[in-house]
Amino acid sequence: MKIFDLPDLGEGLAEAEIHEWHVKVGDTVKVDQPLVTMETAKAVVEVPSPQAGKIKKLYGNKGEIIKTHSPLVEFEGEHDSPQKDKGTVVGNLEESTTVLDEGDMIIGAPKQATLAVKAMPAVRALAKQLNVDLSLVSPSGPQGQITAEDVKKHASLQTNHSTKTKMPGQVEALHGVRRAMAMAMTHSHQEVVPVTIIDDADITHITANSDITVSLIQAMIAGIKAEPALNAWYDGKTLERCLMKDINLGLAMDTEEGLFVPVLKNVEQKNPEELRNQINEFKKTVKARTVAPSELQGATITLSNFGMIAGRYATPIIVPPMVAILGCGRLREEPRVINGKIEVRKIIPLSLTFDHRSVTGGEATRFLGALIKKLENKA
Amino acid sequence: MAEITLVEAIAQALAYEMRKDETVVVLGEDIAKNGGVFRATVGLLDEFGPERVRDTPLAESMIAGLAVGMAVEGLKPVAEFQFMGFIYPAMDQIINHVSRLRNRTRGRLSCPVVFRTPHGCGIHAPEHHSESTEALFAHIPGLRVVMPSSPLRAYGLLLASIRSPDPVIFLEPTRLYRWAKQEVPNDGKALPLDTCFTLRVGTDVTLVTWGAMVKETLAATELLAREGISAEVIDVATLKPLDIDTILASVEKTGRCVIIHEAAKSGGIGAEISAQIAERGMMFLQAPVQRITGYDTVVPYGRLEKYYLPNEHQIVNAVHQAMEYA
Repeated sequence: MKIFDLPDLGEGLAEAEIHEWHVKVGDTVKVDQPLVTMETAKAVVEVPSPQAGKIKKLYGNKGEIIKTHSPLVEFEGEHDSPQKDKGTVVGNLEESTTVLDEGDMIIGAPKQATLAVKAMPAVRALAKQLNVDLSLVSPSGPQGQITAEDVKKHASLQTNHSTKTKMPGQVEALHGVRRAMAMAMTHSHQEVVPVTIIDDADITHITANSDITVSLIQAMIAGIKAEPALNAWYDGKTLERCLMKDINLGLAMDTEEGLFVPVLKNVEQKNPEELRNQINEFKKTVKARTVAPSELQGATITLSNFGMIAGRYATPIIVPPMVAILGCGRLREEPRVINGKIEVRKIIPLSLTFDHRSVTGGEATRFLGALIKKLENKA
Repeated sequence: MAEITLVEAIAQALAYEMRKDETVVVLGEDIAKNGGVFRATVGLLDEFGPERVRDTPLAESMIAGLAVGMAVEGLKPVAEFQFMGFIYPAMDQIINHVSRLRNRTRGRLSCPVVFRTPHGCGIHAPEHHSESTEALFAHIPGLRVVMPSSPLRAYGLLLASIRSPDPVIFLEPTRLYRWAKQEVPNDGKALPLDTCFTLRVGTDVTLVTWGAMVKETLAATELLAREGISAEVIDVATLKPLDIDTILASVEKTGRCVIIHEAAKSGGIGAEISAQIAERGMMFLQAPVQRITGYDTVVPYGRLEKYYLPNEHQIVNAVHQAMEYA
């Protein structure tokens, strides 16, 4: 600004009288430094400098009248920079250099397909209290609402086996591995839709001292190569499955403490000797209870070689998110018809359980077929 | 394309519509020669002349009455009330005539006026300059109540309001007038009235707000995102008639809702939204609906304003409480 005009010192005052100058020509002033005291019809007011600069001229002496918006002071300098408009007559408007990037504003609601659970808050509170997952409860109320009755019914299904049963003797709460097994099996039973198919493999060609567990693992690898759908994880809540690149084989091991399933990582990259060494290592660490938690996680498929004890066929239970488990029963000798003659053959019974939510019957049987072919050394 | 402030977007929309439709006239205190206290009507007098851009006396009831007469006679008046605290003398005109003229004449006369006024506090102004009494107007049958929260929506919603055959109370968030800039194409395209705008899509909680509080709500969303909480942000924009369907659809998805408004809590529009969620969305709720609002007091002067205005931390705290339920 070159020339500073007298501002309106009140509300609509037309003029003011110079009471006293605080600066003289040639003075250098700062912003807000008092320039002059003016007397108006209402009050005596100090007028601060609107800018820093050197005073070139004062328009009037003490006692003279200056009209509002007429020149009061001239500053030195060539350029006349007009005072910035504050954009308001009262208060201060916040200004910033912010540039709004609102992204994609949606008019109305985003398009979505929600499968939200419908339940009144009291029913939700009840579900929380009874530890019921509402997404697993079938609604019976109006417009698909879950009622308190639905929650109670579901809760009684959940707890039927563990509560309110009169125990005739000393009660022992399940701990550790046994407790984990109980919970995992309950979860599996509630969620998985299992189908078990059974068949036999003729392994007469295998010598008496060969490693059947390792042969089974290699056969499973062959089965997975034929049908990758069985080496997968499945999420029933989101209806998503993930086919696994690596084959991490969980090997069920029975101990006095309960069931352990240590995981043989990347079995497809290991030779028989490495697999056997790893299995032996697991036997030791599981028995000594020193197996690391990380060794018990991340399985993509399971093998349960229960036949080392007894039993022919079974319906093995899948632990989600896995989708398949192979059970192997007791090896036996039996007469078979080979090329029109009866021969005594070594037969191993196989039971494959798959989760029919994510695996088809065709996939499962092709997996089993490829597995048997490999075991029978025909692959 | 130029980036402009919210108040410049208002001026741009007014000028666009006055060029396009010669029945549009503007009137109010200091709006012509001075260009309005906030410069929302700057340049209109020069371009459209004193017949269509009129300074009025300081008489708000008269401004409203004048606008009713103009509207009935076929004009489309856009009248400015300098501050929301000055609109109350016009309430008689607004309630007894503006809102019900069509009903009274059994559809023979309409009253297509737009009453613009700055809304809310936060600029360190004296009393009467900080009001947020939108609920008074939303309560009156026959009025539309609209509040933009960005330059883009100010432009599009003001055009829609002027073109609407119904009377519109158009509330402009004062503290956002010059706060930020945005690209606003001057293409004359109106945004729809009577719909919310979803500004952020989220899954954990629905934040419902309007006007200047959109600023703090979006800031809260950023803080929540850092904690992994995904908030959906709905700018209600048209407060009357209320687009409850968009809010319900969001609450059905998230199960949680926090309503944020600057106005006093009792009898505010937050109460209306909360009641409608209780009536129609109760079975989806996983936590009680909460309101973060101004206090039931007169808006304080500048130094205390920051204690009156809800801030992003209050919003974050409310969301934390909501997340604890389920």
